[in-house]
Amino acid sequence: MSVVQKETIEVIAQSIGITNLSPDAALAVAPDVEYRVREIMQEAIKCMRHSKRIVLTAEDVDAALKLRNVEPIYGFASNDPLRFKRAAGHHDLFYVNDCDLELKNITEAPLPRAPLDTSVLVHWLAIEGVQPSIPENPPAEALAASSDGKKLECKEEGPPIDIKLPVKHVLSRELQLYFDKIIELTTHKSGTVLFKEALRSLATDSGLHPLLPYFTCFVADEVSRNLTKFDLLFALMRVVWSVLQNQHIHLEPYLHQLMPSILTCLVAKRLGNRLSDNHWELRNFTANLVATICRRFGHVYHNLQPRVTRTLLHAFLDPTKALPQHYGAIQGLAALGPRVVRLLILPNLLPYMQLLEPEMQLEGQKNEIKRQEAWRVYGALLFAAGQCMHDHLKKFPSLPLPMTASTLKLDKKVATILSSEILIYKLSCKRKADMDNLLQQPPLKKLSGDGSMGAIPMNSMHGNMQGVAGGYNADGGVSGMTQQVQNENTPGSSSTRGKADSQAQNASLVLAQAWKDDTDGSRLLSSLFECFGDGMFSFTPAPESLMFL
Amino acid sequence: MDDELVDKVVLRYLKNKGFNDTELKSYEDKLIHSRTSSSPSPIDPQLSQLLLHFGSESESLPAQYQDGYSKLRSWAYGSLDLYKHELLRVLYPVFIHCFMDLVAKGYLQEARNFFNTFREDHEVMHQRDLQKLEGVLSPSHLEEMEFAHTLRQSKVNIKICQYAHGLLYKYLHNTQSITMLGVINEHIHFDPYPGQPSSIIDDSEAVTIVGGGQDAVNLINQKEIQWGVLEDSLEDRLEKTGGLLLESDKVDVENKEGENEETKKKSADGGKQAAPSKKAKKDKVNVAAGKPARPEAITTSIAPRVKPELSLPVMPIEVEQSILDDLRNRVQLSSASLPSVCFYTFLNTHNGLNCASISHDGALVAGGFSDSSLKVWDMSKRGQQTSNSGQSDQEAASNDNVLGTNIDKRPYTLFRGHSGPVYSASFSPLGDFILSSSADSTGMFFKSLWPPRTASCSALGIPFLTYSSINIMIAVRLWSTNLNANLVCYKGHNYPVWDVQFSPFGHYFASCSHDRTARVWSMDRVQPLRIMAGHLSDVDCVRWHVNCNYIATGSSDKTVRLWDIQTGECVRIFIGHRSMILSLAMSPDGRYMASGDEDGTIMMWDLATGRCITPLVGHTSCVWTLAFSGEGSLLASGSADCSVKLWDVNSSTKTTKSEEKNSDTKLILQFSRRNLLFGAGVFSKPS
Repeated sequence: MSVVQKETIEVIAQSIGITNLSPDAALAVAPDVEYRVREIMQEAIKCMRHSKRIVLTAEDVDAALKLRNVEPIYGFASNDPLRFKRAAGHHDLFYVNDCDLELKNITEAPLPRAPLDTSVLVHWLAIEGVQPSIPENPPAEALAASSDGKKLECKEEGPPIDIKLPVKHVLSRELQLYFDKIIELTTHKSGTVLFKEALRSLATDSGLHPLLPYFTCFVADEVSRNLTKFDLLFALMRVVWSVLQNQHIHLEPYLHQLMPSILTCLVAKRLGNRLSDNHWELRNFTANLVATICRRFGHVYHNLQPRVTRTLLHAFLDPTKALPQHYGAIQGLAALGPRVVRLLILPNLLPYMQLLEPEMQLEGQKNEIKRQEAWRVYGALLFAAGQCMHDHLKKFPSLPLPMTASTLKLDKKVATILSSEILIYKLSCKRKADMDNLLQQPPLKKLSGDGSMGAIPMNSMHGNMQGVAGGYNADGGVSGMTQQVQNENTPGSSSTRGKADSQAQNASLVLAQAWKDDTDGSRLLSSLFECFGDGMFSFTPAPESLMFL
Repeated sequence: MDDELVDKVVLRYLKNKGFNDTELKSYEDKLIHSRTSSSPSPIDPQLSQLLLHFGSESESLPAQYQDGYSKLRSWAYGSLDLYKHELLRVLYPVFIHCFMDLVAKGYLQEARNFFNTFREDHEVMHQRDLQKLEGVLSPSHLEEMEFAHTLRQSKVNIKICQYAHGLLYKYLHNTQSITMLGVINEHIHFDPYPGQPSSIIDDSEAVTIVGGGQDAVNLINQKEIQWGVLEDSLEDRLEKTGGLLLESDKVDVENKEGENEETKKKSADGGKQAAPSKKAKKDKVNVAAGKPARPEAITTSIAPRVKPELSLPVMPIEVEQSILDDLRNRVQLSSASLPSVCFYTFLNTHNGLNCASISHDGALVAGGFSDSSLKVWDMSKRGQQTSNSGQSDQEAASNDNVLGTNIDKRPYTLFRGHSGPVYSASFSPLGDFILSSSADSTGMFFKSLWPPRTASCSALGIPFLTYSSINIMIAVRLWSTNLNANLVCYKGHNYPVWDVQFSPFGHYFASCSHDRTARVWSMDRVQPLRIMAGHLSDVDCVRWHVNCNYIATGSSDKTVRLWDIQTGECVRIFIGHRSMILSLAMSPDGRYMASGDEDGTIMMWDLATGRCITPLVGHTSCVWTLAFSGEGSLLASGSADCSVKLWDVNSSTKTTKSEEKNSDTKLILQFSRRNLLFGAGVFSKPS
């Protein structure tokens, strides 16, 4: 009848070494044991209530024992409720699964993560009696469901997880199907027409926002797992592109999850595992993607573009990185616009070319593939620099080249020398095509023709430029730059004020720097024209080149 | 013939009682002698029959109980519907006393059988009592167990209409169920009243045991109490000035309110957390006993004014001003215009959060943890942080905390000092002090004094004597939020202090404990000013009356008591709950009190009469917290079933508007002076 039977007492007695317990004693002890246990549990329940809980823990029992001035049973206290298991064959018998642990395993196990600290989150539970539909509050359907009184189920205990907001939303069946379909197409049938349709749908459909976190997760997961599967990577980037195009989707909150995957596709060491995989194309595509994202969300996330450029520059300037990575970085930077190129690539162009040149030569690099890669990188550089110049030619048709040249030499602080250097170079070695000369000479001539007129503004610009060259901050630098360019133009063309006094100063400066940077300058120029001679011209707007021609 | 019969019966009885043969012989002789000497007395044939009946049945006493009870039960269930519920009410006391009689007489196995046969009848109403009684397995347990002991000592009071009363006795006599009659006569006190039987609702009185019996309760509840609000309170003053307010001013105020709500909404939509802190600077102070500030409120004129019996602390002028400002800007709440609720969710508590408290302006939130720590979050500071730097910085800050690199960067202030679970925390009205109570034990020795050797102490009604000779000190601690330090440690309670509460004007506070007392203290003395003793079990919660002249205590003995601070006497006993009282709240006009229990029932009491106005049923689990709105028109309740419910007080109907939230257990609710409802709770992992 009672919970504690006579037999129970006998078993316990045996377990502690009392073999000769008389049945009478057991019979007498059993009810008392039960009574005491019940009493303790009753106190434990009181402690539980005062701890504002509805699940009894071992701690409560300990507290109850303390209340009664009994030594608590050490070793069982845990903040989590015990996990009971039902004994097989008995409907009302439960036990705590207490498995043996090897002490060695415990001592050798790495320290668990420190438990997260308690924090407080504030939100509106109701506003004038109406519950706002924010993530902290459960949706209306969930409320209706919960009122049925669902029982809490015991869950297997996992490692401590940082409890985030209880974001719950319900995905409609249609959306789930749609998501599954897209996933399937992306992973397996990325070459089909159907996939193209899917991309179009992703780019235009309006009701897809609830799926965005899932897509974000999917992309991040797949990219990190499948770096060797070129097709899949490309498909994923296309998906991102399409999602980005969709006007009804607000991508901002998920950018921080997406960007790492995208940048991976841009500057990863290997993308795809076959030679036939055209990972250059993927990198180009991704570069555009990055640029688009930066353009669209740069004003929302002020640190987005600086962070991206920092990453890319890092990849670009690290000589230990593979050439495809450099290529990706250059492409990425180039896609971000000529200003970025001017600020970040051009100053580093010369040292980089020194590294690249041996790779491009047959004697320097025997590996055909590597050489090809080097040429690819060269092409990318050419493209970047050319675009940058093109931009300038368009902007300042009157004074195109000195500007470009001076920018190139920013970090060398020899803005004033550049023009003369070029001139010297042109005069001394004539191994480059006439086109180049034509391209370069008119402004130079103009400069030399201007004589002192040109020297003064150049000098003043040199002073200003120092500050700009110091920081890589794209926005500030660029705006400063344009301002200076204007500065340069105005005094250069109109003002002769202070000509006399600055001229002497200028002359000495030119001289001092001229011999110091002599070698660098000539090498830069030689490599520059070697690389970009023909290419440069192709970026020059037609009217200009015609004029020069 | 008759005499012989009587002799036979007496002898058999004596034999049953264990008299030995020689004694019996002597008695027999005596009997014979007396019979011969005196003339045979006329014996009522009915009586002899009864005696015979008694004698013959006594062979199997357990069976007699079992039969008697089952017959009574079937009779009661078969009785007229009109009187049925009244008669059924009788069954429960009869049942438990039958059981205890059987245990006391040593028929343990039979007692168990009896208990298990009929327990289902009472499972719904008295589950917890049955669980307690279930453990009684020997006569000594009856003596020792508090609950059983009180049951045996006191009579149960049952109100029953005269007709039903008559029916019952007629039945008992007719069927000659002497055992049942004995039980009923011994343990039940009937309180017959003329007229029709009462409604079914208030039938729970039958079970609640009160020391001293029902008469004492009635006596206590007839005492006069001054339930009105304090005279010359801020509300009064506001009213006077409020009357001078021009209509345009009022409109202005209304507009302001509107704006206020607007901004609230905006900030809520933006998910901003700075909203409460914005107010923080404005109303950093005392709560005054709220009461409808507007002249149009009806109750205002009715509530009488009383003088304070305690010398109350003086409020600084600027504080008063800001309170008046708040009261003027208070949003009027009713069932039509529900309040906004700002909720503080505790994350990552690892099941350790025992209690929470919110200062009156909502700027400070305190949590008491089972690891003995008390943590205070300053929301006004955090709001600044978040508004400046956004989420990423916040994340960075939290990472720092995990790494423990910089202690100062903790988002909260940690108060360490307790050495046991912190069970309660209370902010002073001005928010500059916190009281916390815990199961502190300094120098506790685990002597194996338990189970107590002598049951005599508990039999004497001094149950704790056996244990309390051991050096245990349980402390209530006072902390300063300005200095971030422990100021005072109040020792007095011998057992865990379950609840502590500042008076509405500060300075004084009340605590209640497992030692069955509630105590009133002032901040400047380490000894209690008053000790309120009388509850029969743990005192679980304590609240101040708005006029500071009374405190109410809720207890595990299922009663709520109201105590006079000045005399320390119990002035009201509220009987009606069926389980442990977990929460109390006093209406701002001092007229009503609400109490919530373990089962989820909330009862609204009229302090003057001591009667329950209406039970509010809706929650399915423990009601952790109750709060009246500033003008007393709404009652908010928070429960373990993860919901907040709002009840309309004035209409006294059960019109509820419930707002639920799935993942949080509500620990505390509190209305600000402007009638913004603050809540705090623990996020529990969804399964």
